[in-house]
Amino acid sequence: MKGNLHPITQYLRKAIHIFEELGFDVFEGPEVDNEWYNFDSVNVPADHPSRDMQDTFWLKDGRLLRTHTSASQVRYGEKNKPPIKVVVPGQVFRNEATDAKHETTIFQMDAVYIDKNVKVGQLFWTLEYFFKKMYGKETKIRFRPSFFPFVEPGFEVDTFRNGEWFELLGAGMVHPNVIKNMGIDPEKYSGFAFGLGIDRLTMLRYGIDDIRHLRSGDLRFLKQFQG
Amino acid sequence: MKISYKWLQDYIKLDKSAQEIADALTLVSFPVESIESKIDDKIIIAEIKEIKPHPNADRLRIAMVDNGKEIVQIVCGANNIEVGQYVPLAQIGAKIGEMTISKVDLRGVESSGMLCSDRELGLSDDHAGIKILPKDYELGKPLSQYLNSDAVLDVEITPNRGDCLSHIGVARELSAILDMKYSLPEIKNDYSKLKSNDLEVIVENKELCPQYFALKINNVEVKESPEWLKEKLLSIGHHPINNIVDVTNLVMQELGQPPHAFDADKVKDQKIIVREAGEMEKVTTLNGKEYRLPKESLLITDENGPIAIAGIMGGKNSEIDSSTKNIIIESAEFNRKSVRKTSKALGLSTDASYRFERGIDRGSLETAIKRAGDLIVEIASGELKSIFKSIVKTESKKINIEYKKINNLLGTSIDEAEINRILQSLGFEVSDDKTTIPLWRHDIFTWEDLAEEVGRIYGYGKINHLEVDKTEQPKKSEYYQKEHIKDLLVESGFTESYNYVFLSEQDISSAKLKSEDLLEVANPLQKENKYLRSSLIPGLLRNVAKNPSFDQNFFFEIGNVFSKEKEVNKLGIVASGRDAKNIIENVISNLSEKCDFDKKDMIISELKRDELLNHKIKKPIVYVLEIETKGLTKNMKVSDKGLDLIISDKNIHYTSVSQFPPAARDLSFVVDNAVKSSDIQSTISESDSHIFLVELFDEFSSDKFGKNKKNVAYHIWMQKMNKAMTDDQANEITKKIVEKIKNKFSGELRG
Repeated sequence: MKGNLHPITQYLRKAIHIFEELGFDVFEGPEVDNEWYNFDSVNVPADHPSRDMQDTFWLKDGRLLRTHTSASQVRYGEKNKPPIKVVVPGQVFRNEATDAKHETTIFQMDAVYIDKNVKVGQLFWTLEYFFKKMYGKETKIRFRPSFFPFVEPGFEVDTFRNGEWFELLGAGMVHPNVIKNMGIDPEKYSGFAFGLGIDRLTMLRYGIDDIRHLRSGDLRFLKQFQG
Repeated sequence: MKISYKWLQDYIKLDKSAQEIADALTLVSFPVESIESKIDDKIIIAEIKEIKPHPNADRLRIAMVDNGKEIVQIVCGANNIEVGQYVPLAQIGAKIGEMTISKVDLRGVESSGMLCSDRELGLSDDHAGIKILPKDYELGKPLSQYLNSDAVLDVEITPNRGDCLSHIGVARELSAILDMKYSLPEIKNDYSKLKSNDLEVIVENKELCPQYFALKINNVEVKESPEWLKEKLLSIGHHPINNIVDVTNLVMQELGQPPHAFDADKVKDQKIIVREAGEMEKVTTLNGKEYRLPKESLLITDENGPIAIAGIMGGKNSEIDSSTKNIIIESAEFNRKSVRKTSKALGLSTDASYRFERGIDRGSLETAIKRAGDLIVEIASGELKSIFKSIVKTESKKINIEYKKINNLLGTSIDEAEINRILQSLGFEVSDDKTTIPLWRHDIFTWEDLAEEVGRIYGYGKINHLEVDKTEQPKKSEYYQKEHIKDLLVESGFTESYNYVFLSEQDISSAKLKSEDLLEVANPLQKENKYLRSSLIPGLLRNVAKNPSFDQNFFFEIGNVFSKEKEVNKLGIVASGRDAKNIIENVISNLSEKCDFDKKDMIISELKRDELLNHKIKKPIVYVLEIETKGLTKNMKVSDKGLDLIISDKNIHYTSVSQFPPAARDLSFVVDNAVKSSDIQSTISESDSHIFLVELFDEFSSDKFGKNKKNVAYHIWMQKMNKAMTDDQANEITKKIVEKIKNKFSGELRG
């Protein structure tokens, strides 16, 4: 009898493989983290409304479950020197009610590239390269402004599907404060970063209709993904 | 936030449709989630070119109409149409109320749309005939551009763009995008002669309240607002209250500055003191609730105590009511962090606090109070009495433009003049390579912030894509080793599962875990999310309990588990059903060999009957194993090139899983060795639409089946989306499968 990998693992492997060919390392940070790495180090201070963008699971010991894999950006940056090229896959957590589209637990993958003279044009190229490899050469994507405190400028990336634009992910140029928190000089180095919502992208790839299937442990669901 | 397209026109003369405005904002500023429109943009202006009788219906006629691009055929029932008329044409896809127009066949004649009456357009109840339009309208254009119909944009303003939480804010943004002028409302009354007598304001903490304006207006007539004002507020979902309160809401929606109105006669000695809360102060606010105020929260008070929580909500004790004669209008700037802190502490968020937290236009306070004054004079026949101002002068922020760095970061070569022009279009003042940041912007600190402004107005679509350096790095991350373990398990027949890291009270009692050993969530919204798992086994056992229709359950998970001291990554395995013991022992041998790990350290446990019961598992034999992945990865043999993982490119067609129980059947066939088991598998899958999963579980040749024959065996699952699959239905489908395999592959069903 054949077993099989979870569809998320299959998607992640393919995604990581694409970035591996572009020279990206893989790093996995802790799921339980502290306020500094999850928020302050990535430019989300407590007294700013951007804190409200994510509902957080706080632990009784004062730590938290990371709300995004960006929490591990500074952890990796502290231990490595530029050029930094890394993807950070992992589970992240949101304290919210669940339905077919919302989950407490999702997979994300951050990608970070920091070097001398990294440009917006390179971010655009990298994302287009990734989505064409993943979804086919005809894939169309577009960039529009958005706000994430850890990047400046910040972008939302959409793809055109079934006659309309579909929101794929957030991206941007790493905010100088974040670069500084890695112990790197933002006057000399710049970088880009983006975060892929792996559950959503996996659902998009296979046409999965309810996000809750992914963690249901239902073999009727899982066994359909035999490679 | 809701923005009315019609309301915007008070400040900027838009010559584009609501949809075009929405698209422009989405691409350059912030997303427009939806447009609510009375008249759909797919309803356009068309000209009737020819009218023919309908061959099969006396009451219908066929109109050939020009939609600006081509002639289309429309079947119409109205009798007021004539050749040469301009009429509204609802094209295919247009929405009229709940109905979406599609191509239809009306008594044997195709109709590619519908001509509309007043009622269908939502303009009036008139349904007597098709609406006839003036001939100066342009063919093919959306009708909404001509008729006085509103569209309301639902705009998602990001937390950095507090300056756009108003109609003027959005108009200002549009003026930069569309390169047009916008204007502020004109102030009609003369405020210069007003003095501050009979009105006293003391601002004790000027750090938390850098600006405070107060305007006293006497002899107001509190009543219902005029229609135009009610309509404006209602269009964006605001309920009108009375003319005074409505004016403050209008000014907030117009300028983004939330003024507040007090009943002047309820303020002791008409003397306002802006100060921090002392110990144990309380106030009952306009929503009727009493709040105990945290110390240091900023209050608007009189000598008797609080009359409002600054920037959040007014007090009941100074409320405007039908007997109010004289009023004080407040227009102030409150410290963003202070408002946020108090609002969080009280759990009280309002339209006003939302704006103060995100930063108001610091230059708009005087305009806002005069605008409120003008409107109250106009609609409540008030008399302007006195004005008070307290302003701490603040220097406007200036930063260097850094043209080179901006172009370098964007990867563009925009010339300096163009960068200056873009910044000026957004209200930035430019001189000597420096820019003064407008008072309404609270998100601009560095040249990187300017780069975003320049980039988005320049157009992200125009930025050249630049390849990145592709120098590869060695695959040294532990990730690859953990993934390799997964491949080994899949090879042995295990299915990967991801379970939640959470455990409920119920879970920990079933698994006999002690709550004091577990990390606990302080603020779970759902009871399932109370503790963090210290083991993968409870989740894997839940997976077994979840799948009673599968005889064999082989699951694994690699994931993090938590104790108060540390977070470790583990591998968990569960096996139940036929061959479970063999299969789990095989996988251990396999792992210990590949990972150079002593298999004596991998301890398999068999669940006892009461444990199975606790986990609601109906299978008799269940084995589990849990081990730290570090133990497996640390000695794993890896070549210099790293590990190659299995990456599947198979095109998987996922079928939705029914909420109702499936039926499962096992079928074995004897076929020629040459027949591919995968071909049989697809034939089974395609033999009935209720089959959603087919799995090969056995394949072997043996002479006992005859020469060159083999046995192939499949698990087959069938489901219905709306009810449980019955035995009879499953048997019917099984028969169909057997017949197909016989016809196509000469396969014989075994026993």
